[in-house]
Amino acid sequence: MCIVYLIAFLFSLTAEQCFSKLIEDSSQSFMERMSTGKTSFVYFGNHVNPTIKLFMEQLEMSADALEDYGISVVKVNCSKDAIANYCTEEKLMTKAYLFRGSEVLRNFDIDTVFDVNAIVSHVLFSVLFNEVRYVHTPAELLRVETAAKQNSDIVVGHIPVLGLPEHRALMEAAFVYGTKYQFVQTTGSLVLKHMGVVDSSSSQARLWFLHCKGVSRQSDPCPSTPMTKPLNTINIHTFLQLMEAPLVTEAMLDPSEVDVVHMHLGVPVLYLFSQPQTQHLDQATAQTLALQLRGEVGVVLIHRNSPNVKTPLKYNAAYRLPQEDVKYFTLNSGEEVVKLFKEELLQEHKLEDEEEDEEHWSDPDILDDEVSESVYRDRDLMLDLESVVELTSDTFQTTVTQNGITVVLFYFKWDAVCMAFIQSYTEVADALEGVNGVQLAAVNCGEWTDICSDQNVTSFPTVLIYRPMSAAQLYRGMLGTKSLHRFILLSLVSSPTHLSSSAEVKSFLEGDVYSKHVYLTPVRVLGLFSSTHDKGVTSFEEAGRLLRGETILGLFAHKEAEQWVEGLSVNLPALLVSHGPGVPYEVYSLPSSSPTDHVALIQRVELDHFPELTVENLPWYLELGKPLLLLFIGKEDSTESTKALAEIKQPLSSGQLDSFLPCWIHLGRTPVGRSILDKYLGFVPPLPALVMSRLKTGGEVFLFPPERPLMAKNVLQWIHDVENRQEQPAGLIPDGKWGPPVPFFDFLAIMDQEAPTYAAQRGPKTKTGRREDHREQKHVTPNQRQTSHTSQNPQAPRQHSEL
Amino acid sequence: MSLIQPLFRLLCVLSLVLASSGSGLHGCNNSVSHEYCVLGAGPAGLQMGYFLSRSQRDYIILERNTGPGSFFHRYPRHRKLISINKIYTGRRNKEFNLRHDWNSLLSDRSDLLFQRISRELYPNADDFPRYLSMFESELGLKVKYGADIGRIKASDFNGSQGYVLTDQNGVSYQCSVLLVSTGLWVPQQVDFLGSDLVEGYESIPTDPEEFKDQAVLILGKGNSAFETAQSILGRASRIHLYSPSPVRLAWQTHYVGDLRAINNELLDTYQLKSLDGLVEGRLEDIAIVRREKDGGKRRTAKKRSQTSTEGKGQLYLTLTELLDNQNGNNISKVTGQNLPGYHTDNFSLRQPYDRVIRCLGFRFNFSIFDGSAQPPQSSGARGRLPGVTAWYEGRGTPNLFVLGTAAHSLDYRMSAGGFVHGFRYTVRAVHKILEQRYHNIAWPATKLPISQLQSWILRRVNEASGPYQMFGVLGDIILLRGSYCEYLEEFPLQALPQLFALSGRPLSDHGLLVLVMQYGLNRTDTLGPGRAESEWTKAWRSNFLHPVLYYYNTLPTEKDMRQRPVGWPLPRPDAVHHMVEDFLTEWDQPISHSQPLRRFLEHCLQTDLRAFYAESCFLLSLTSRTPPLFCHQGYLRKQGIVGNGHLWQHAREAGLMADHQGDITPRDETSVTEYLKHAGAAVVSTMNFDL
Repeated sequence: MCIVYLIAFLFSLTAEQCFSKLIEDSSQSFMERMSTGKTSFVYFGNHVNPTIKLFMEQLEMSADALEDYGISVVKVNCSKDAIANYCTEEKLMTKAYLFRGSEVLRNFDIDTVFDVNAIVSHVLFSVLFNEVRYVHTPAELLRVETAAKQNSDIVVGHIPVLGLPEHRALMEAAFVYGTKYQFVQTTGSLVLKHMGVVDSSSSQARLWFLHCKGVSRQSDPCPSTPMTKPLNTINIHTFLQLMEAPLVTEAMLDPSEVDVVHMHLGVPVLYLFSQPQTQHLDQATAQTLALQLRGEVGVVLIHRNSPNVKTPLKYNAAYRLPQEDVKYFTLNSGEEVVKLFKEELLQEHKLEDEEEDEEHWSDPDILDDEVSESVYRDRDLMLDLESVVELTSDTFQTTVTQNGITVVLFYFKWDAVCMAFIQSYTEVADALEGVNGVQLAAVNCGEWTDICSDQNVTSFPTVLIYRPMSAAQLYRGMLGTKSLHRFILLSLVSSPTHLSSSAEVKSFLEGDVYSKHVYLTPVRVLGLFSSTHDKGVTSFEEAGRLLRGETILGLFAHKEAEQWVEGLSVNLPALLVSHGPGVPYEVYSLPSSSPTDHVALIQRVELDHFPELTVENLPWYLELGKPLLLLFIGKEDSTESTKALAEIKQPLSSGQLDSFLPCWIHLGRTPVGRSILDKYLGFVPPLPALVMSRLKTGGEVFLFPPERPLMAKNVLQWIHDVENRQEQPAGLIPDGKWGPPVPFFDFLAIMDQEAPTYAAQRGPKTKTGRREDHREQKHVTPNQRQTSHTSQNPQAPRQHSEL
Repeated sequence: MSLIQPLFRLLCVLSLVLASSGSGLHGCNNSVSHEYCVLGAGPAGLQMGYFLSRSQRDYIILERNTGPGSFFHRYPRHRKLISINKIYTGRRNKEFNLRHDWNSLLSDRSDLLFQRISRELYPNADDFPRYLSMFESELGLKVKYGADIGRIKASDFNGSQGYVLTDQNGVSYQCSVLLVSTGLWVPQQVDFLGSDLVEGYESIPTDPEEFKDQAVLILGKGNSAFETAQSILGRASRIHLYSPSPVRLAWQTHYVGDLRAINNELLDTYQLKSLDGLVEGRLEDIAIVRREKDGGKRRTAKKRSQTSTEGKGQLYLTLTELLDNQNGNNISKVTGQNLPGYHTDNFSLRQPYDRVIRCLGFRFNFSIFDGSAQPPQSSGARGRLPGVTAWYEGRGTPNLFVLGTAAHSLDYRMSAGGFVHGFRYTVRAVHKILEQRYHNIAWPATKLPISQLQSWILRRVNEASGPYQMFGVLGDIILLRGSYCEYLEEFPLQALPQLFALSGRPLSDHGLLVLVMQYGLNRTDTLGPGRAESEWTKAWRSNFLHPVLYYYNTLPTEKDMRQRPVGWPLPRPDAVHHMVEDFLTEWDQPISHSQPLRRFLEHCLQTDLRAFYAESCFLLSLTSRTPPLFCHQGYLRKQGIVGNGHLWQHAREAGLMADHQGDITPRDETSVTEYLKHAGAAVVSTMNFDL
């Protein structure tokens, strides 16, 4: 009966859920429900936010599952039907209630019943409160055992974390089998130890069957059988069936014709052949083996004296794995067969299962590094370095002094990162072919190790820029096509560009000079000094050289420089930054300092105040260490997106967002943004979406409520609420350590196993460090061997023989 | 007083100059002092001279002969060097090529290689002193020739032990540090009855004609014995080689001091039964006796004294125990009963010999050292070598270091420390130790971010010649320091417990890695099936030279070192990684070499070392508070590896990179090329400015 019920239930689990069984109650139907005395799980809500939306989906699924147990799942919309006591409470929205009739059995935080598994397990646990015993200590378990002895068997489940699928599986089993067996649930590690589990730290759920019913005397302990398979409904069902099956089945048929329940349950069967003269002994052996293999293997004892048994006499045993044929073998001892099953046959199945479940990266011969793997997949392609000159020790010096700019890549052929980059590098070389005075070259450091050492290259790949008569410049940018291409072209612009009149300054900032390089960067930085004799000029010029390729830098050291800062609260020397024509200039004072300080200042002022984050520019902005105010906008440049950008931009100038980094991601240009949203929130909200991400402090992620209009004042209010802890975080950025992704191959363990003394330290008494002694001893050996050939004559030369 | 001393010194130097210019001025108590005195201008002495001169130290190389490498003017007697001079390797990597150049010394001059002198694979011995002269003169090393040091005394210099050397002219050299690179040149002898009847390798004629139709017994089975045998193979009637141990073939033992195939023609004639042979037995038990033709009893006394070996009888090998009853010394009257053939009629060496030649190698010249300055005899190598510490300092003789062949006791019959291609690296290591001890200059180290460690290890494994030649003896040390590490090259492994004192590099609590090249168990037939391992998971069973990494949480102690597993260069580590031997000695394959290495390093460092494209780092930097190391040390320092659509496609197909929408990849790729094509057009996002 129970089985039929369970199978029906399992079927319902897999069946398509074409309509929802979640009931929505009005106040009237709710009152009616209260009076029926039936069990129901009710949620009261009034509006939907993303978290609630997720919960509602789970609730709907649980309605299907709980229907099988006669429990209705109900939601009440408080905004329509305000039900007294429940719709008014403060905890509205975050609580769900389990009723039997009008009595509240329990209430749950929706954090506890976060998904369908948690809902079903907690609800069933509450309903079965009297049937399932909860024990915490071994003593409590022993009391349950004593009560059950000679009466019923016990099923003990150890559930370290409540609300997970294992918990649900146990509760469902308890619901079905509760009348037949005494169910016990425990979470404590003490009980785990009591049951003989050594590694109690593992958070794996476990289950045991205690055979208490068949105990002959009260003083005897109940024998227990652990379930070895993972805890799920089907495995528990199979396991309990196996516990019911007879320990040893005796038969007079050939193995392939014996029908035992194990075959139907997908469990291997062991067949032992019995001779009439040793029948009792064979039965005893079969019993012992069956006890050891209980729950994993069925044991059948076949009497050979029957004419139906045609197995050749040379075999005394056989086994049959599910969906396979019978395999015969000769058994020498009981331990051997237990070992065979425990270490090989069952293990193999387990492994197969694991392989399906786990990632296949555990195979040591599959590359799990995205760069290595993608480069490896190109291994049949010949590297085409046509437009790149391969340098050798003989050509290096001449080449780097020949061209206006020689870009040199230092690489290793066997380094995947180098080989991935070299593809971008050749793309740049192809694009720059024909550009005067620029040569792209490469040095294979696997071959020309002397060049690489001479150039002090210790990191790979490295790109150095050589110009005649000056020291090599390290390329510090992204190792990608666009970045390097832009860098090289920018390197052609002299840095700083010396400007001699206000007209030139004008052209530099927004005129002809400007438009010549606008496709590389819209930003112009101008150093303003009152005269060329200013002390800061040399330092600024040096900074310009350091920034060559990264920034377009102008220098205007002239008495007219004054007029560019007129009316601004800054005195000369000053730094004028233009983010493009039409955008107001920004001016900063330029204190005299070292070139590297200038570099740092220039790099800082160049940053956008409301940048579009891209894969290539993110590191510059993350450096600021501020929480991100991140607007995600869709692929299509809709008016909505433009409006949202404008709304965020509005409070920028007033400095209200100074403690944040306001920025945006365009999912069309930066598709990975979608994955970011998904990781932050667990779903992708309608776009545009505004998110606050406290990457450095606490790691909380807040989502600007999608139902609120995205307007400057709402955003400011929301920020205010977040800061006053009035908003709940929508997600948390994990702070996990990046440990080894795969366990390493432990050679020491293998040595210890295969050659036990090989890797062992010597004992303190052994004479050590004297190899030679050892060897000389060895030399004696052949001589000693010769003595055995000694002739009778005592005078005979003993120690000389041709070996 | 303080004024007089320099004056006195000046006088001495003056007189020294005069003395050396041959004026023969004697009598003055000449004395010079140097911080470093190098004794002997052989390959080891010159090698050390180069390092001392490069670090601009006050040093002198003292040499009694008129030129460098005088040993090689005489030895090997048959004038063929057996050290490989392989010029063509198919590679241009200078470091790699030193793996196959066994004659050159180390210097920063890439043209100062032995191949300039000779292009023979096995060069003529005369070429070697020529090479050494070139090395000495082109680098301008300070060598004083004709200074024959007869006596070395220990002496106290300001509280630390120094050495005073006296030459044949009475000039004394005061040395704070003495570097002994005198090599091995005293012929090794074994005392037995009749050893005076034996010729030495050092003095035998090298003209094969002199051995015409002679039966020759050679004592020894090393390269000099076989070399001698090989040269007379076409003339001698019968050649027997006698020594305690059986022949050890270098190609089986991987020890270059064992019998090299170039010298082993006699094995052929022995095994093809062409009258030559090998016999094992103790040298101390034998006696060589001359038996006059009339020595034996004769039945017919008539037929005497004529023909062949007039006067001189032939030589017999016998045993001292057979002579004992004859009062030992009187061996002039040898009867048949004194010979083994009398007792065992088929005794192998029953026939007489015309010559017996001793080829037993050489020993260190201990005689010039006064008691307090004399290093003890090594326990191994039959006491032929001075005993040294793990850092090549004489045991009990502080500030006296032994270099070159004489320093072979540490790796005798194991590695290459007794040969030029090995000790050139130990000399370099000793020099680094000197720099630290006497000048407080720490062992040079390269500081690397952890994300670069793997490629640096692969680089060393694929090109470094020091650990390759000095396998099991010199190894690279990687001191882990959290986000970065310090990489020390070619440290003497036996001295690992003294790492800090010797290198000046402290250990952090992140532990250390040691990279060693080593041969394997060598338990299989050298040329038989299963001799090579190709499965990386069985790498520890590799037989050939292969890289091994040892990881220690803490520095091993001297006790750990003493009790290390049998045959291991280092104590049992906390984790070990063998990189599977490679037929081409190229350890650069992603599945068999790189990935297993990466996973081992990940285990030691407890961090994820995988590489990620910039896009993945972008995602991980925004969605994880501590992105993986590669992103941290690359991308977040603005050095991300961007890749291209083609590579991303591969990574996505492999399931390693997230696919965000499925339709993005191809479009993205065109956008890059588009960008480059129309580099002139403004493709900058306009959204920045519209606002």
